[in-house]
Amino acid sequence: MDADRDDAARLRRGDTAGLAGLMGRHQDRLYRYLLRFLGDEAVAEDVFQQTWVRVAERIARYDRSRPFAPWLLAVARHLALDQLRRRRPEGLDEGAEPAAGADADPLAFAAAAQRRARLAEAVAALAPLDREVLSLRFEEEQALPQLAATLGVPVPTAKARLYRALARLRARLLARAPAEEWR
Amino acid sequence: MSGHARDLLALEAAGALDAAEAARVETHLAECPACAGEAAAWRLLAAELGRLPAPKPSAALVARTVEAAEEHRAERSERAWNRAALGFLVAFSWTLAVLSWVVVDLVKGVLALRLERSVGPTAAWYGAYLVAGWFSAAVAAALLGRRAREEGRIA
Repeated sequence: MDADRDDAARLRRGDTAGLAGLMGRHQDRLYRYLLRFLGDEAVAEDVFQQTWVRVAERIARYDRSRPFAPWLLAVARHLALDQLRRRRPEGLDEGAEPAAGADADPLAFAAAAQRRARLAEAVAALAPLDREVLSLRFEEEQALPQLAATLGVPVPTAKARLYRALARLRARLLARAPAEEWR
Repeated sequence: MSGHARDLLALEAAGALDAAEAARVETHLAECPACAGEAAAWRLLAAELGRLPAPKPSAALVARTVEAAEEHRAERSERAWNRAALGFLVAFSWTLAVLSWVVVDLVKGVLALRLERSVGPTAAWYGAYLVAGWFSAAVAAALLGRRAREEGRIA
């Protein structure tokens, strides 16, 4: 994107208007990705801030012949993983225990909004790496090769991770909601 | 459809199959109502995943972030300038130290001429000159450091 390249060049020269331009175009997607991946608003805000500080600091390392968004995501992912490793030394591949006492009123499941709320809840309870792969595929709309590049793994591994995350998500949904809601 | 092929239904809904796999799934779905129902469920899930609420960063967070980035850049450029200035000063002081041998030797010669007797080797005078110079520099650095700490510029 030319605007990204121009703003990156501006930031490299020390003009912080370049940062404002880059943030304006990428902040929403970055924040959504971090929030999904980290699963905690305060931590996501912290890493969001760290990411842009790091971008301003290391903009000279950005190769302007490539798109800016994947580079930004790589910077953010690195910081987010550091944060998760500090907060979850037990591993990034474990989700939260399913919450007990799910509402079983069949009428409550009728509305699509409620189904979505259940879905958001189920996604939030997944392991960070599962949340990340789902967010990258369905929210960032990254195709499999791009997804694999973002995760830094081969395409078959990315595919397996995507399948595993979907299967875990569906299992959670089916365990907590009437089967017909997701059929 | 086999267990392995059922895996493909999730990936098909996610748009993550290659052309051959997608064709295989499509052929199978046309003749298997059970798998077609399963595929519809996966597609519903995939569609809903793309429609989850999209949170946005607050204006306050964005403002804080811009401020932090600008502050960080300013600190880094000040540090870079300080490093460059320090490098120049070190190089300059070494140049002076080397050149001052000639000056010390000259002064010592003039002094010996005036006193009409030997005033010791040039090396001793030069050593004393260097020690005095370094001591003065150390005192100046300590005073500047204390002032910077008092102003809260360094930890």
